[in-house]
Amino acid sequence: MKKSIALAVIAFGLSFGPTLRSAEPARFLIKNAAIVPMAGPVIDKGDILIEDGKIKALGKGLSVPEGTPVLDAAGLTAYPGIIDAFSHYGLVEIGAIASTADVRDLGKENPELQAGWAINPHSVHFGTGRVNGTTAALVAPSGGTFPGLAALVKMDGWTFPEMAVKPVAMSLINFPMTPRPSREGGSVQKETGDEVTSKLVDKIKDYLKEARRYLEIKKLAAANPAVRPPAANPKFDALAAVLDGTLPVIVSVEKAKDIELALKFIREEKLNAVLRGCVQGYKVADKIKAAGIPVSIDSLYQGPSEPEDGYDAPYRNVVELAKAGIPLCFSSGEDPTAGKDITYHAAKAVAFGLDRDAALRALTIDAARILGVAERLGSLEPGKDADLFLTTGDPLDARADVKHIFINGKHLDQANWWDLQYEKWKNRPEKK
Amino acid sequence: MKTKILVSTLLALAAAGLLTGLPAAPKDLLLKNGHILPVAGPNLDGDILIRDGKIVRIGPGLPAGLDIEVIDLGGKWVMPGIIDSHAHIALEGDVNEMGDLITAEVDVRDIINPQDINIYYALTGGVTSIHTMHGSANPIAGRGVVLKLRWGAKASDLNFQGAPLTSKWALGENPKQTNAMMPGRTRYPRSRMGVEASIRKEFDLAKDYLKAWDEYERKVKSAAKAKQPPPLPPKKDYRLEGVADILKGKLWIRCHAYQSEEMLSIMKLCKDYGVKLVCFEHGLEGYRIADELKAYGVAVSTFADFWAYKWEAYNTNPHAAALMAKRGVLVAINSDDAERMRHLFNDAAKTVRFGGLSEAEAIKTLTLNQAVICGIDKWTGTLEAGKDADMAVFSRHPLDPYTVCEMTVVDGKILFDRAKYLEERKKAEEEKKKEAEAKAAKDKKVGGEV
Repeated sequence: MKKSIALAVIAFGLSFGPTLRSAEPARFLIKNAAIVPMAGPVIDKGDILIEDGKIKALGKGLSVPEGTPVLDAAGLTAYPGIIDAFSHYGLVEIGAIASTADVRDLGKENPELQAGWAINPHSVHFGTGRVNGTTAALVAPSGGTFPGLAALVKMDGWTFPEMAVKPVAMSLINFPMTPRPSREGGSVQKETGDEVTSKLVDKIKDYLKEARRYLEIKKLAAANPAVRPPAANPKFDALAAVLDGTLPVIVSVEKAKDIELALKFIREEKLNAVLRGCVQGYKVADKIKAAGIPVSIDSLYQGPSEPEDGYDAPYRNVVELAKAGIPLCFSSGEDPTAGKDITYHAAKAVAFGLDRDAALRALTIDAARILGVAERLGSLEPGKDADLFLTTGDPLDARADVKHIFINGKHLDQANWWDLQYEKWKNRPEKK
Repeated sequence: MKTKILVSTLLALAAAGLLTGLPAAPKDLLLKNGHILPVAGPNLDGDILIRDGKIVRIGPGLPAGLDIEVIDLGGKWVMPGIIDSHAHIALEGDVNEMGDLITAEVDVRDIINPQDINIYYALTGGVTSIHTMHGSANPIAGRGVVLKLRWGAKASDLNFQGAPLTSKWALGENPKQTNAMMPGRTRYPRSRMGVEASIRKEFDLAKDYLKAWDEYERKVKSAAKAKQPPPLPPKKDYRLEGVADILKGKLWIRCHAYQSEEMLSIMKLCKDYGVKLVCFEHGLEGYRIADELKAYGVAVSTFADFWAYKWEAYNTNPHAAALMAKRGVLVAINSDDAERMRHLFNDAAKTVRFGGLSEAEAIKTLTLNQAVICGIDKWTGTLEAGKDADMAVFSRHPLDPYTVCEMTVVDGKILFDRAKYLEERKKAEEEKKKEAEAKAAKDKKVGGEV
């Protein structure tokens, strides 16, 4: 707490003080920062003018109206805020305590459940998740075949409507997974894994077919009083935007064979899809590329899908997918307590051969494009939301320190659950 | 005669391929031109000479003798092999005895699985030794063991010779089983009070047990003296013998605990019974009582930033490790997880930002501190002449975000070599491709005939 107040004072000079949060300046200037805009070239010592929550201008030696508060960012580098392309922020507080989790419901088909109905904007994980520069996140429910509808939120806000960039951003499908062949000595499976999966895919297709029929009859009934409307089915209603391609859908899938099945499924159902996970994607990268579908990378704190893939398969996967020219984004995955780790995952991919710039793009502008919000987020450009952070070093380096973070132009108090404890106990008088 | 039989038996075993566990005497090895982080002293650029699995010399421009394998590291980084003081890998089956409260009679050495693929994964992350242990379902659980990750050797050869055996204790939510670990069943205890009471009770029983045996021995002696028939011995109780071993100080106590108050309480309990804790496992709230931990002299083997998965893991922060270390507590960064184990060097880097450990201190949390906690610092944990040749080679500084573990050496043997791995992977992929092409050609031919 003390630290953040001190920072604010240093940052804004005497024109500001501890009242920063209540008296947010409508216009201020970040000065002397190295700027990595992720759109256009790097500016080694430049300024960013922020006005009414948007980036007004950026460049060298900006002239600003007299009295504009200034944050001297000498020695720091500015990056656009990181976008986490899949998370459970605000849906789970403490995994082991059921009453703190609102991430999944009973049953397999829940396409109508909106994450936005349950997100807790005051979860400590938004604060701790921001420490590496994340300013926006897709928050998705989980479980079953149709987990529901994900919301795209800013990592700050008094209420959910205030946080929401898109209250309903994406639908979700968990694609069936081919079981591993039974081990030697185990019982002989009657059906091979492929057949099992194909049958499960058929089930999903049947469900979508039923939804289509429902929507069609509903439409007919609306136009023709002689047609009896079907009994209301909110689940099918929620699928309407998915089936007409207006709402993108994330298809979570892991194995190469399943990815091929998923690509076929997406093509046949004419879905506007993003693949997620795809740990064996590198085996079918050409097919993913040909389908023109982007991939959302899951947490890289995971082992290979199968030992035969080699110990480094999850990292290599990202490298090969990027090499194939597939648009990528990163995500922190299903553990909201590990939200900040998204930059560590990107770093791991770079360690194993991903181009560093490609990694930064995947964390920012490419994620914004994949999530359909590139007109507002993902880069530092005039007119875009003032979501950015200032760091002492490489944003992918766990040793670097994010000193300032801005969301909608609001200079966030960096104090979070961790800092509050740290500051308190660091100052416990030494016990003799 | 005896020697002859032994030799012929050994030869037979070797011929039958049963001696893969006894590696041939490792060749001398000279690692040249590395950035060396010896941990024992200042970093230096130079070479490491290895003979018979031990480090012989470290320094610049060491001469290569005859019949020695020379590897030019070309400026790569060498650190002592990473030690993971809290692991559950290389074990077959479950690591918990859920059904009973105190299970001091069980021993993980009975279930060592030398073929666990996680041993290999650990090597790919520069890990050379682990303390693998019983789970945390029991206030006093079974014995744990320190292993050298001699991938390819047989179970008994994984033992870290000279390392003390450990006794796993657990406090809090896991022994309380409050997180529905066994749905539908309740087992005493359900509170932290009950956990502590169950340990105290067991120690009282073990003391009585020891007394009964002492008395018996005395009676045996006096009966012999009086030429009378010996008395009946007390009933053998393997569980109480396990607990008695703790009272006798034979086992190093490794106590799983999260909350600061339960840690303070168990330290008092240990004083009451005259036993000594060696290390708290996890200890996520240890940062609140760093001075007390230091005064008692107990280490903490903790996570870099794993937290909030349960209530007792909520009141913590990634600064905790550094906070404790800065107040003089011996701290190690552990994995408790096969996957986390392979990126412990990435985890240690987090302590530099969170809490401000120096890079040297961060490296210590993976090496020397771990070795001291496991009682193996005489042999490993630093790069020094005379110590085991356990080390990891990285493409960049081990705390650099883009570093990759290139090579892991255990007892002077290269057990992981990324260059070789890439070569073999390529070969395997080419073979697979050829096979697929041959199959496609054959299918085509068959199709043509029809």
